[in-house]
Amino acid sequence: MTAAKIIVNEIKGYHRFVKFLIVLVSLGALASLARFVFGLGVTTNLNDTFPWGLWISFDVVTAVPLAAGAFTLGAIVHCFHIKKLEPLVRPAIVTGFLGYSLVCVGLLLDLGQPQRCWHTMVYWNPHSPMFEVSMCIAAYTTVLFLEFLSPVCEKFGYHVPLRLLRTIEMPLVVAAASISTLHQSSLGTFFLIAVDKLHSLWYNPLLPLLFWLSAMCAGISIIIVEATMSHKYMGQPDESELLETLAKILPWGITVYLTVKVFSLVALTEGPLFNRPGLLVLFAVEVVCGVLLPLVMLMNGNVRENNRLRATAAWLVIAGVILNRFNVSMFGMEAPGTFYYPSFLESVVTIGIIAAHILFFVLIAKYFPIFEHHPETVDYSIPDHFRKNEQGHAHGAAKA
Amino acid sequence: MSSENKDFGKNKAFLIDMTKCTGCRGCQVACKQWNQLGAEKTEFFTGEGYQNPPLMSEYTFTRIKFRDYEKNGQNEFAFYKEMCMHCNEPACASVCPVGAFKKTKEGPVTYDADRCIGCRFCMVACPFGVPKYEWSKALPLVRKCTGCYSRVKEGLKPACATTCVSAITYGNREDMIKEANKRIAARPEKYLKKLYGSEEAGGTSVIYLTALPFDELGFKPVTKRPLPSYTWQALRLVPGIFLTVGSSLSLLSWFNHRKERIAKEEEQRKSGATPKEES
Ligand code: SF4
Ligand code: SF4
Ligand code: SF4
Repeated sequence: MTAAKIIVNEIKGYHRFVKFLIVLVSLGALASLARFVFGLGVTTNLNDTFPWGLWISFDVVTAVPLAAGAFTLGAIVHCFHIKKLEPLVRPAIVTGFLGYSLVCVGLLLDLGQPQRCWHTMVYWNPHSPMFEVSMCIAAYTTVLFLEFLSPVCEKFGYHVPLRLLRTIEMPLVVAAASISTLHQSSLGTFFLIAVDKLHSLWYNPLLPLLFWLSAMCAGISIIIVEATMSHKYMGQPDESELLETLAKILPWGITVYLTVKVFSLVALTEGPLFNRPGLLVLFAVEVVCGVLLPLVMLMNGNVRENNRLRATAAWLVIAGVILNRFNVSMFGMEAPGTFYYPSFLESVVTIGIIAAHILFFVLIAKYFPIFEHHPETVDYSIPDHFRKNEQGHAHGAAKA
Repeated sequence: MSSENKDFGKNKAFLIDMTKCTGCRGCQVACKQWNQLGAEKTEFFTGEGYQNPPLMSEYTFTRIKFRDYEKNGQNEFAFYKEMCMHCNEPACASVCPVGAFKKTKEGPVTYDADRCIGCRFCMVACPFGVPKYEWSKALPLVRKCTGCYSRVKEGLKPACATTCVSAITYGNREDMIKEANKRIAARPEKYLKKLYGSEEAGGTSVIYLTALPFDELGFKPVTKRPLPSYTWQALRLVPGIFLTVGSSLSLLSWFNHRKERIAKEEEQRKSGATPKEES
């Protein structure tokens, strides 16, 4: 059998859902091709009044906080040393790595001159939040890639790089958390320049801090949802006990977020708040359904212990963060009397990107040991001898 | 961009006296000619007023906006020349990740097409809605009025200011402001006692004089604070936050891991095992 045949056979064996995803991804790829052939103006609904549309609002501004699980959990597990959460780390890293890679794809599609993206590395403008975010995303995608290499090396049994990766694991976790803090908040800084454009329901000087806090809440919620779903649909181990711990941490994050939000709204907002009924409704939905409701739910022990309810609360938080990012980057920026909605092609590309995320996650989970519990050989001391690691690997491989 | 001590008085600036504008649109045409901009297909009564084309675009860097109003029961026109304001501290330059926009020492804000990556942040940031995009192209770039930098550099006036016989004056910013105030003082019954552009967005190199209230003419109300300062107040904290988060997390993890290592060693000593046999 040739290699191609093996691959075809392998794909034939996939679940219907996976095949469906492959179709969606291909459609998205075709649509993005159309963007380069026919130009942004024809294929999207963007124009001089709405220079940023769905691709910035969802593929970049929303996808970045949704990929925040990796750094949040990394910091919780390794820095605060809540070690029992360790089994959740690898799936979170894979999600993060995929998320960020796809953010890069979305960004490249949206750029007018994607072939020049290296310019940001050469022509520095530290006054630009966009410069800061692109540097951070480049750095962080590299970090996530390195972290992601661990399961890859384990799979193929490359012991020496594995040992090396283990050695730099801690610095990587710290780097991940500090870089993420910067770019998650700088996404909020983007909109500080839109002084008279972004509606005052969202515009205030603490926007960067709010973006950072909500990104962490979203990160934790994503982990809960992801673990629940991969248990349910992919036959992975049940981590409910660990998720309960996370669900206990989450309300604290939401409370801090809510406090800062209320404070900034009451004390720091300058413009009128109640002049646009439509925006007011969006704001109310965001705060009530995406912040207050999950907060009340998660304060209740019964909810935290119930798999379904816990996942529902996490979904609400995620939906709240998504709505918040759209409110800030799209709805709140629209001047009265104007309206932008994404074109068919724009939507197909975005759907393709979401499908690609799920697809790659499923495939990686299928071929790489990301759900295995880290063997106890993970110590963070300087390596003394390499055999110790080998034993750990043999142990891991036996399970695979 | 944060140029606190820079004196903008010696920058070249436009003084546009709209009470003297006749709406001939010679400036619009001169701009197209000098910058070799394509024509636009136009229709009447598509925009909010009588102006053509309906909006500034990749082909139109400046245009005259028409406003009709009633004065003593008579229909009258007011004109407003729309163009890049060449801000003293331009938002477009501050947000561009690759520094494609630059405030030149002569005054105009220029755009370096060879650097631009096409992120369109400048369009989001500009409070006056000036930068426009080549939406028709597969690999588009930004377009906007460059204040005829190529002419100004050589000591010439911008094309529009050269063409206009009455309404546009070009010279040092401080002189233009002085001149504007002189005109207001001479005919207080005619002019509005306010200069648009003297303080807007931290001051611009285009100063307007009108007879009608500015918002009625379609001028956007804009903050007086230079826009770059809004983002800079957050961005300047970046190195500090990076170091603080990085070092506190490092310390925290070092401390937590040390605690664990000590506990482990303690356990081993108790059970009498040699460290090598653990795991
Ligand atoms: S500014 Fe001068 S050139 Fe332009 S329309 Fe008015 S009068 Fe004519
Ligand atoms: S008006 Fe807009 S494009 Fe012109 S210099 Fe100011 S910020 Fe830049
Ligand atoms: S579109 Fe070009 S000029 Fe505008 S901010 Fe982006 S890189 Fe700079």
